[in-house]
Amino acid sequence: MKPAPFHYTRPASVTDAVALLATHGAGARILAGGQTLMPLMARRIERPACIIDINRIAGLDGIELSSSHIRMGALVRQEQARRSDIARHHLPGLTEALAWVANPVVRQRGTVVGNLVTNSPGAELPAVALALRAEFVLRYPHGEDTVPAAALLTHAGPAAAGALVTHVLWPRRVQAAGFFEVARRDGHAPVVSAMVSMGDGDCRVALSGVCATGLSCATTAHLIARDFPRVPSARELAAALKHDLTGPLYGDADSPARYRQEVAPEIIRRALQRLPPDASIGAAPSTP
Amino acid sequence: MTVDGTAVAARVSPRYLLSDFLRERAAVGGVHVACGQGVCGACTVAVDGIATRSCLMLAVQADGATVQSVASLHELEGLSPPRSPPPSSGVPEAAHLTPLQRAFREHHALQCGYCTPGLLVSTALFLARNETPSRDAILDHLNGHICRCTGYANIIAAIESVRP
Repeated sequence: MKPAPFHYTRPASVTDAVALLATHGAGARILAGGQTLMPLMARRIERPACIIDINRIAGLDGIELSSSHIRMGALVRQEQARRSDIARHHLPGLTEALAWVANPVVRQRGTVVGNLVTNSPGAELPAVALALRAEFVLRYPHGEDTVPAAALLTHAGPAAAGALVTHVLWPRRVQAAGFFEVARRDGHAPVVSAMVSMGDGDCRVALSGVCATGLSCATTAHLIARDFPRVPSARELAAALKHDLTGPLYGDADSPARYRQEVAPEIIRRALQRLPPDASIGAAPSTP
Repeated sequence: MTVDGTAVAARVSPRYLLSDFLRERAAVGGVHVACGQGVCGACTVAVDGIATRSCLMLAVQADGATVQSVASLHELEGLSPPRSPPPSSGVPEAAHLTPLQRAFREHHALQCGYCTPGLLVSTALFLARNETPSRDAILDHLNGHICRCTGYANIIAAIESVRP
């Protein structure tokens, strides 16, 4: 129950952190909240050669509102985001989804970006990021790049290897969202979680825990949008979801893939029922 | 780092956990280590005022930090420390107990006591952030702590009894 030896670094800037990532390559892991990485290291599932502790880098702990986005730094803690007025007023569904994450003590250390880039089937936020059309700001030694969450979160394993994710950008295009999950016990990792979002003439549905990565469900979203505000039955959702389940399915000893696949339509239905009563798909933005 | 008001300096390996540092280098007996992987909450301490599982933090991460264990419970509950120090062994007198500790005693919210120090630290900080927590908020808070003796009902009753 103790981590294997590693080389510890504590860069003071994003530039230094990215340079360390380049030097140490695949053996390096970023340490932010540590609420996922440290247990894995204690169990020796993770044995990084080098730890890059970004906790003392200034300027990564802010939540900022712009005309198009909410920008969260890599050190924004989950509980900080959950209690933020900006998130509550401008990011439908995120506050509700964060309340399902672990427990208040873990949420005060664990970061939003960490939960996202770990990209585990037992994490809530990949589904949230896909449904809310989030983007990541990646810093490389030679520059910066902004990529959609879908580009990063639909590959198995930790997202954005080789780059430091400095921020997550949440677009302000979503007007309403509903989140629901099933877990074996309260406060434990979800088996399946679902997020449904609406806004700008578009409906999005995303799942965590059914595939090894987050999963965007376009056919299911199309069915929901077509019938809205009628909520489709779990049977109808299951039929639509079949078309969305293209990747390899995920399962473990406690919750096999078949169970996850069977429960997912009902979890989507309950997420849909949690949309606020005045939710609407809205009109598509007029393109200039 | 400063541990319960005392400066502690030591040179340690990066992989040395804060929980081990507090027990072995700072001689803090009120940090109980059970699961060692962030599940049980027994090793919870305050690091710069934030409830933290000390088994999920490296000692080097807390370099320069202010760490408070259950020995700082008076301060964590916003009280001044007792005039005479509590006895180093045996049952402390009522005068040395905080309101939260008294509530735990009155409601029989502990039996073996292994989870109790972490629970007291975490609950003191929880009550400081939530003056009038709902029952649901208390249950959410208790999700972070495993107690195998009480079945939690008595812990919930104790916490509810100290709500202002």
